[in-house]
Amino acid sequence: MLPRLKNLLGSLAVTALLASSAAVAQDAAKPQYGGQLIYAQSGEKFTLFMGRSTDQSGQDVWLHACETLVELDPKNEIKPLLAKSWKTSPDGKTVTFKLQEGVKFHDGSPFNAEAAAFVFNEAKAKKFIYLPLLEGFEKATADSEYEMSFHLAAPFPALLPTLGYRPLCIFSPTAYKAVGEAGLATKVVGTGPFVHTQFVKGEYTIFEKNKDYWQAGKPYFDSVKIVIVPDAATRTAMLERGEIDRTVQLGDLELARLERNKSVLVRTVPSTRQFYVVLNHKVPMLANPTVRRALNYAIDKAGIVQSVFAGRGASLMTAPTLMEGVVGYTDMRAAGEETIFPYDPDKALALMKEAGYAFNGGVLKDPQGQPVKLKLFTPRGATKGDYQIAQLLQTFLKQVGITAELTVMESAAFSSATNLGPDDAKYDMALLSWGIPTADPDQPMMYFTHTNAWKPYGANRMFFSDAEIDRLANAAHIETDPAKRNALVKQWMARLLVTAPVIYLPTLNLGLAGRTYLKGDEILAVDNYPAHFAWFDKAEMERQGVKR
Amino acid sequence: MIIGRMGFIILAGFLLLSFLFALFHMIPGDPAVLLAGDNASKDVIESIRGAYGFDRPLYVQYGTYMSHVVLGDFGVSNYSRQPVLGIVLSRVLNTAQLATLAMIFAVVVSLTLGSLSATFWGSSLDKTVTVGSLVGICLPVFVTGIAGIYFFGVYLEWLPIAGMASWANYVLPVITLGTYQAAIFTRMVRSCMIDALGKEFVITARAKGVAEWRIVLTHALPNAFLPIITLFGLGFGHTLGGSVVIESIFNWPGLGRLMVESVLTRDLPIIQASIFFFAIIFITLNMLVDILYTWFDPRISY
Repeated sequence: MLPRLKNLLGSLAVTALLASSAAVAQDAAKPQYGGQLIYAQSGEKFTLFMGRSTDQSGQDVWLHACETLVELDPKNEIKPLLAKSWKTSPDGKTVTFKLQEGVKFHDGSPFNAEAAAFVFNEAKAKKFIYLPLLEGFEKATADSEYEMSFHLAAPFPALLPTLGYRPLCIFSPTAYKAVGEAGLATKVVGTGPFVHTQFVKGEYTIFEKNKDYWQAGKPYFDSVKIVIVPDAATRTAMLERGEIDRTVQLGDLELARLERNKSVLVRTVPSTRQFYVVLNHKVPMLANPTVRRALNYAIDKAGIVQSVFAGRGASLMTAPTLMEGVVGYTDMRAAGEETIFPYDPDKALALMKEAGYAFNGGVLKDPQGQPVKLKLFTPRGATKGDYQIAQLLQTFLKQVGITAELTVMESAAFSSATNLGPDDAKYDMALLSWGIPTADPDQPMMYFTHTNAWKPYGANRMFFSDAEIDRLANAAHIETDPAKRNALVKQWMARLLVTAPVIYLPTLNLGLAGRTYLKGDEILAVDNYPAHFAWFDKAEMERQGVKR
Repeated sequence: MIIGRMGFIILAGFLLLSFLFALFHMIPGDPAVLLAGDNASKDVIESIRGAYGFDRPLYVQYGTYMSHVVLGDFGVSNYSRQPVLGIVLSRVLNTAQLATLAMIFAVVVSLTLGSLSATFWGSSLDKTVTVGSLVGICLPVFVTGIAGIYFFGVYLEWLPIAGMASWANYVLPVITLGTYQAAIFTRMVRSCMIDALGKEFVITARAKGVAEWRIVLTHALPNAFLPIITLFGLGFGHTLGGSVVIESIFNWPGLGRLMVESVLTRDLPIIQASIFFFAIIFITLNMLVDILYTWFDPRISY
């Protein structure tokens, strides 16, 4: 009797299991409500007040509580958010936004044209850090309750992608007036899907569901907890154990191990964060574009991807400075090549010879017969893999007879050493990385290669100056016709290939690892990994034994 | 004597803060530039200097800072604008908990193993303890910490990995940090005990027929204690230092982690207060050791 009862119970259990798994299959596609997302980041922002922070790590902190007028989707296309639609005047100097109606800030005050205009006017009056991104911005005006206009000194085609940059989100003017910048340094008050409730410096930030959120039915989580865990090995272990649901910025070897775990989903996509070697054009040798092109050919970029990034953590550049996903990008590789300036030490030496340098007995000598020695500054640990890349650069340069002396610095000291003007800069070469968070070429054109962007106040640490580069940038900067603008961007890239202001190195790939029960999270441009509209597949979560 | 010592602590704290202030204004790394980001214009950097008070002359900044510190105000974080004292004190407590528990663990383990090892000098137990402690000294805490996380946290799922939410969170970091110290202490306790057990008063006690356990506990151990106490005092300091690594691995919200993060962002007020409190704890511990000395050896006085 007993065995029969067992059988009966067994078959009942199987039937129940089948029924429940069918139900799960149905639900899997439909978002489920509830739960707390725990998301580990490697570091926290300097300050939560958007007006004083441009460090690009962890921009996701803002998106939970504070929303921008528009946003960039995974294809870097501009989508409406707090602005429903927009219109540019014929002269390109006024852009008028129709805003979402009936939206409230978390402190209960209404979101309207007056509030939005206040934020941008205040940004100008108080010189918020992001102000230089809003080129030519004169003032914002509230034309009616839900219509706001941007007034520009000159047409600015990059305005919309710039407005999608997270720090330009619309915070509550009421809260700002009450507690000021200092008060908002630890509290985000906006219109977002989650209300910021707790901030413990260096430990965690908690957001609770906004019950009055204007996008009906969203968000799905009850709360989101962002924890700061600096050590990548610890983040990996926490994810494997289920103490956290997702994390970013893991090492390539850690990602490779996580890939073998069936409960973890690992995703890698190219980012806009690229490495490059600043060449100081004030150094006579490096003022010569032929020499700079030679240096580009001397570096084995594919080798760097293989040995520093385990073949997966970085991608080869297919155009100078811009990459896929950035407006105006075109593949600039020569036919059949896998990257721009493909590795070719013979070609490098031939170009050096053309520039008057002689390669004898493994040593490159300048026209005066002196062996070539260059100082290479590098940070250690500022960006994943930086120091290892610097060591490889030293090896590759040795092969064309150049002695590169490494100066290794921690990130703050490095930042200081590479923020000096042309007369004070001590480096011949410096290894840097930068990203294009707005996914628009305006930033690199105006702040990276332009003569007006020479350090100490731009990002032109090369002290590079080329009339044609500047002319193309100035023209693209005010060109409102996308096709014409893209043509200018292409000419600019072609000119970069000739002038080679820097040594172009690979682009970092973004790695995201999350438990498989987490659905609907994304990877966007530089350091953006939104999960504010993600949700848990609860049956799967239970099956994996994760309980909270 | 204690009053004199307290005076010394205050003087040391004052000199330390002055030194730190000078040091962090000499090393490269401008907080305004770090805060402003890469594309910042001159205007923006200047406006940050103004907003955060970095533009005032150094002696004014120094004077303001020191006069506030005297009143117990360590300023606000450069970035989060929260009062530094609140941030640092909660971290000091977390680190103190970790270090104290690790020290208790290390003291208990080393006194037990060291005494046993010395009592049974040359036995297989002695050899095991000696080899074990040598291995313990050679293994850095980041190796044992990560190994512990994977074995007890991920594989067995017995213990949580990170944070300090419950008592279970304490087990791995305390044992990891404590084991390393215990390994160092055990060797010292063992040799001090071997030394003490060879003294004439021990031979006399044995001749009187005193039980062996009694000889070890009441005769040899108190006499071996003086050098051991010095070592424990210094060891506590090392435990505080070692907690910097442990705090990173186990994501322990302690002073060490805070200090490292603040150095990287040049959050000067927090760095100064963190180092200040580290130093004060260290000095206080040394004072306690000195007091314990007089208690264990009445011949010593200050």
